[in-house]
Amino acid sequence: MNAAEPNVLVKASHLSVRYGAKAAVDDVSFTIPKGRIVGLLGHNGAGKTTLMKAMVGLTQGEGELSVLGFQPRPQRAQLLEQACYIPDVAILPRWARVEDLISLMSGIHPRFSAERARSLLRRTSVGLRDKVKTLSKGMVVQAHLALVAAIDAKLMILDEPTLGLDVLSRKAFYEMLIDEWCDGERSVLISTHQVEEIESLLSDVLMLNEGKLVLSISLEDMEKRFVGVSHDAAVAEQIAAAHPLLRYRTGAGPSGNAAIFDGAPPEHVQALGQRIRPSLVDLFVALTRKPELDRTHF
Amino acid sequence: MNKLLPLLRREWLQYRFGWALMVAVPLAITLLLLAFGEIQIGADDAARVGDKMPALLAVASMAGSAAVLFIIASFSSIIIVAGMARRDHSDRSIEFWLSLPATHSASLAAPLIVHLLLVPAAALLAGMAGGVLVSMVLLTRVVGFAEWFTLPWFDLMPAVLALAARLLAGLPLAILWLSPLIMLVVLLSAWFRSWSWVILGVGIGVGSQLLNRVFGQPLLSDVTLGLLMQARSALVHGGESLALQSTAGGEALGQVPTWALHDLGLALRELPSPLLAGGLLFAAGCFYLLVLWRERGAGAAG
Repeated sequence: MNAAEPNVLVKASHLSVRYGAKAAVDDVSFTIPKGRIVGLLGHNGAGKTTLMKAMVGLTQGEGELSVLGFQPRPQRAQLLEQACYIPDVAILPRWARVEDLISLMSGIHPRFSAERARSLLRRTSVGLRDKVKTLSKGMVVQAHLALVAAIDAKLMILDEPTLGLDVLSRKAFYEMLIDEWCDGERSVLISTHQVEEIESLLSDVLMLNEGKLVLSISLEDMEKRFVGVSHDAAVAEQIAAAHPLLRYRTGAGPSGNAAIFDGAPPEHVQALGQRIRPSLVDLFVALTRKPELDRTHF
Repeated sequence: MNKLLPLLRREWLQYRFGWALMVAVPLAITLLLLAFGEIQIGADDAARVGDKMPALLAVASMAGSAAVLFIIASFSSIIIVAGMARRDHSDRSIEFWLSLPATHSASLAAPLIVHLLLVPAAALLAGMAGGVLVSMVLLTRVVGFAEWFTLPWFDLMPAVLALAARLLAGLPLAILWLSPLIMLVVLLSAWFRSWSWVILGVGIGVGSQLLNRVFGQPLLSDVTLGLLMQARSALVHGGESLALQSTAGGEALGQVPTWALHDLGLALRELPSPLLAGGLLFAAGCFYLLVLWRERGAGAAG
């Protein structure tokens, strides 16, 4: 961990990752303190996976990056002893039995508890003698989380861990994550497309757009900073004149239209409608689409 | 913490069923053939060895079983090793292995150690153990079941164990000699997948011809042939003299331990050579490129 900032688990400063001429991650700076659950949001190709790979030393970045006090690329093995990482869905080796994986991880991971893994697996429908290739995708993900959650780590990095799973499997995954791993001291960085489902779990959010970090904020601050105004179609022109970040149809309520502003809009604009809390999804759309787009016309 | 041991264990967990089959099937076939097939021993041969025939048959059974399993294990291991760089890509489990705190070099070294050294060695020992059973069936068919119990085991076992020890000691030496070729094929399979063998074969064949005909330089063919011959010598340096001793009758069994020690000495004496030094440097270079390939491949999916 950073000696100067003991509560900071991850610190990136002007971090860029390039594939040839293309910058997959472009000059991003952020910190992740202890005890936070951070959502990493971005469209496909925004650079989420690349950023996560850089954080666990699987790809080379430029700039400064410190994870748990380690430089990820040269100290990958040491870093992964204190951080755990689920890079994708259903990637456990198909030839293995679950108990084989427990045995292997006991040897490879110094902070892995086989007893805890078995205990976590008892919460699922996965048996110790089950072969991975006989499990459904949802069961493989559950087994993987049980294995990873049995690591006494400080940071968990999850890259689209529930992609393609049904709603029950996703719910079970997040329940196990929150109940069995998060303890107020450990941090989680999670990227997902199911933003609505995890919004209530998150404490912070990082938004990437075409490799650039467009937002790094706690949800608490986000509510203070971004203001939504629900309004009638009749006043749409006046709302547009105030240059909101995004105008969109809510599909609910009597007015059916809304706009998001960065900061409180002028009094006369607020008076045109009703102040609402913008959802993370709406804010994500607002910040990762071109501001001139008007989504009220589909 | 030593990460190599659990990585070695991974190989056991992944391949144990295949290894069991690799040992059990040839032994079972041999036993079935001996039990129900026709066994012919020439009258001249029988007369030449006289009453030593049961002992020689027992030694031949054990040595033959060991040799067969050793050869099968060595070939299957080389095939597995050749594909090891990409083996976890088909089920995408490479992502899982990369998420564990093991270094790239340890992850690549573990399968090499297991498949090139431990598996052939274990197959050899399993073959010798199975050979005891084979000798029992063979002797039952040829001279009667009771003869097996009257064998001079205190004379036989030193010969058998000396042969096994000679092969076991020669195995790492042979791998050292073959390492440039093995590592080259592993590296080629990382880059070119299943085309690696074709590229290696064509590369050496065409390269040798080209160097030989155009430049009058037989370096490539000499080096390749030299490595193969030295690998053979590392396992059995003076195979011909062993054969001569064996046919001389049962007395030769007592000389086997001395022969094995002497033969190993000859193989060790070949080690300090520019060919081996160059080959090891080449193999180390290939291994380094494999580590780089794994490192860079790890980030490629971003």
